[in-house]
Amino acid sequence: MKYIELVNNLLKQEVNKYEELVLFGQNISAGSCLGGLTRNLKVKESSKVINSTNSENSLCGFGFGLLIGGVNSILFMKQLDFLLLGIDHLVNTFNIIRNMDEIKSKASFTIMPIIVDNGYQGPQSSLNNLSDFCSIARIPGFTITNNLDAKRIISSELVKPGFRIICPSQRLFHEEIHEEKIDFVNNDNTIFQYRTGSNVTIVCFNLSFSYGAELSNRLKKEGISSSLFSVNSPISSDWGKIIEDLKITKQLVVFEDSKSVNTNVDTLLNHISKFCELNKKIVVKREINKDWLNPTSDIIEIKYNEIINKLS
Amino acid sequence: MDKILTENEITIAKEILKNRFNQICVNQKYKEKKFKIPIHLALGHEAIAVSVNNIMKESDSLILSHRNIAYNLARLGVLKPILDEYLLENNGLMNGKLGSMNLINLDHGIVYTSSILGNNFSVAVGVSLSQEIKKSNGITIVLGGDGSIEEGSFHESLLMLKTLNLSTLVIIENNEWSMSTKISERRHPINLQKFCEAYDIKYAKLEGNNVFEYIKILESLKNDCLDSKSPICIEVMVTTLGDWIMKTPEQPNGKFINYHAGPSPNIDLSQGLSPIRNTDEDPLYVLEKICNNFNLDEIKNEILSEKEEGL
Repeated sequence: MKYIELVNNLLKQEVNKYEELVLFGQNISAGSCLGGLTRNLKVKESSKVINSTNSENSLCGFGFGLLIGGVNSILFMKQLDFLLLGIDHLVNTFNIIRNMDEIKSKASFTIMPIIVDNGYQGPQSSLNNLSDFCSIARIPGFTITNNLDAKRIISSELVKPGFRIICPSQRLFHEEIHEEKIDFVNNDNTIFQYRTGSNVTIVCFNLSFSYGAELSNRLKKEGISSSLFSVNSPISSDWGKIIEDLKITKQLVVFEDSKSVNTNVDTLLNHISKFCELNKKIVVKREINKDWLNPTSDIIEIKYNEIINKLS
Repeated sequence: MDKILTENEITIAKEILKNRFNQICVNQKYKEKKFKIPIHLALGHEAIAVSVNNIMKESDSLILSHRNIAYNLARLGVLKPILDEYLLENNGLMNGKLGSMNLINLDHGIVYTSSILGNNFSVAVGVSLSQEIKKSNGITIVLGGDGSIEEGSFHESLLMLKTLNLSTLVIIENNEWSMSTKISERRHPINLQKFCEAYDIKYAKLEGNNVFEYIKILESLKNDCLDSKSPICIEVMVTTLGDWIMKTPEQPNGKFINYHAGPSPNIDLSQGLSPIRNTDEDPLYVLEKICNNFNLDEIKNEILSEKEEGL
């Protein structure tokens, strides 16, 4: 099954469970329905699907207003950069709501913007910086990378009192979905462990899970066992399980595929430096070269063999 | 001829006078440097605030801006919990968690207050739709100033309200000033009536600070809004009183400072409940003019004698 089919199916199941749920966003029930993300979303009679105006700032305020009024809602956005227009609400409006227990517990508001990470968009429309949005007001945020985190995050976080941002990846839309088994997931669905090994710890941030899984597969062929983690939230700080694992493997490979300077990788590395010693540390991040704003591919070319050769 | 006030009108007159008196008390505390937070007084806004309070039912929601004191006082009716909030006390209206510019009062229908210009209009759209979904039969009333209509969100929100057929009163308090700049010094005038016409949204204008007239008009507009399932935009001309002349080395003869925030040096408790300005710009003057002071002294004395404990 393709990634987009799975995410769409999960959304269809989830949104049909709730009374008084408002789904809204531009073209969510027209045309390609955001590349298939929101196709055929059926809701109960007391709910609404609104093919909205092109008013991104106000759409964000609208969702918070519904929350204040006790109505659950989901705002779908075709591109993460559209959400830049709503930053005022993500910070100022959310800060009021989260400061008042009697309001924040009334309903759920989720924004689901697609991270356009497949490239060729040019200087605009290719924002891959969820961590910057989340960091500015410590907003709960999640990325969707495979079958299991998709199921877990959509079933647990999509409609839940409070506010969060959940981002699927456009790069993965037409890829076969990664089928994984979960070894561990923490309570707030921000850190997933899929494999447990004794030689290397692989930690994937943002939407880089597929790179980490590929490395893990290649290491296995070389007789090197690896633990595989995905950190799906830019503001997670629950590093215990990763530290425990690193105390055994003492070798770390990190993947981070966003375009942000402000990532959780540095928080993890800082934490590791306090609690365990490593024999090897490899950090693979997006190279920001002179062409990074041009219409080029956003897929990172990973030199797997070089990484494997550095590991023992 | 002197107007004989009905019992209901006496209550309304008392609300106006009490609102003014409580704001003067806050100003006094401000001058005594009792507050760590910024407060935007709304002397001169009492007529519209008391009118909005009088048309609100339990199912209605009110959404305010940074200059919300007159509305919060009108809704609550007493000063002490608001004053304690300004003092960031645990027993303040919202437990000292919101201060002044974001003060809400869920028990009295004030569900959101924003200090960001234009931020609250779109929140009002959401609250209004939630009322429809919940079948509350209530209406959403959102307040903004003349500065906020310069924000894109005002345009976006009117469009959304009209598109979604939502019963919302959008009230724009036009005091013709943005901080220390007069509108005419800063931008091209906005014809709000024509602006509303572009969206096929009914427009009404209130001026003159006659609280009894305001209430009648607002009641009618509210019913119209509920029946038509359409927003209505109301422009209210207000004068934010409390201005003073500031002398500086650069301006030795003094410069006019229109009141924006902070304590007003010209306002003093000793002036009691006399109008600050003897023109229609002052709701107290208008109230006295309507009643020709027939029975206001008794009400004034009552308010002064009822001065709340701890003030």
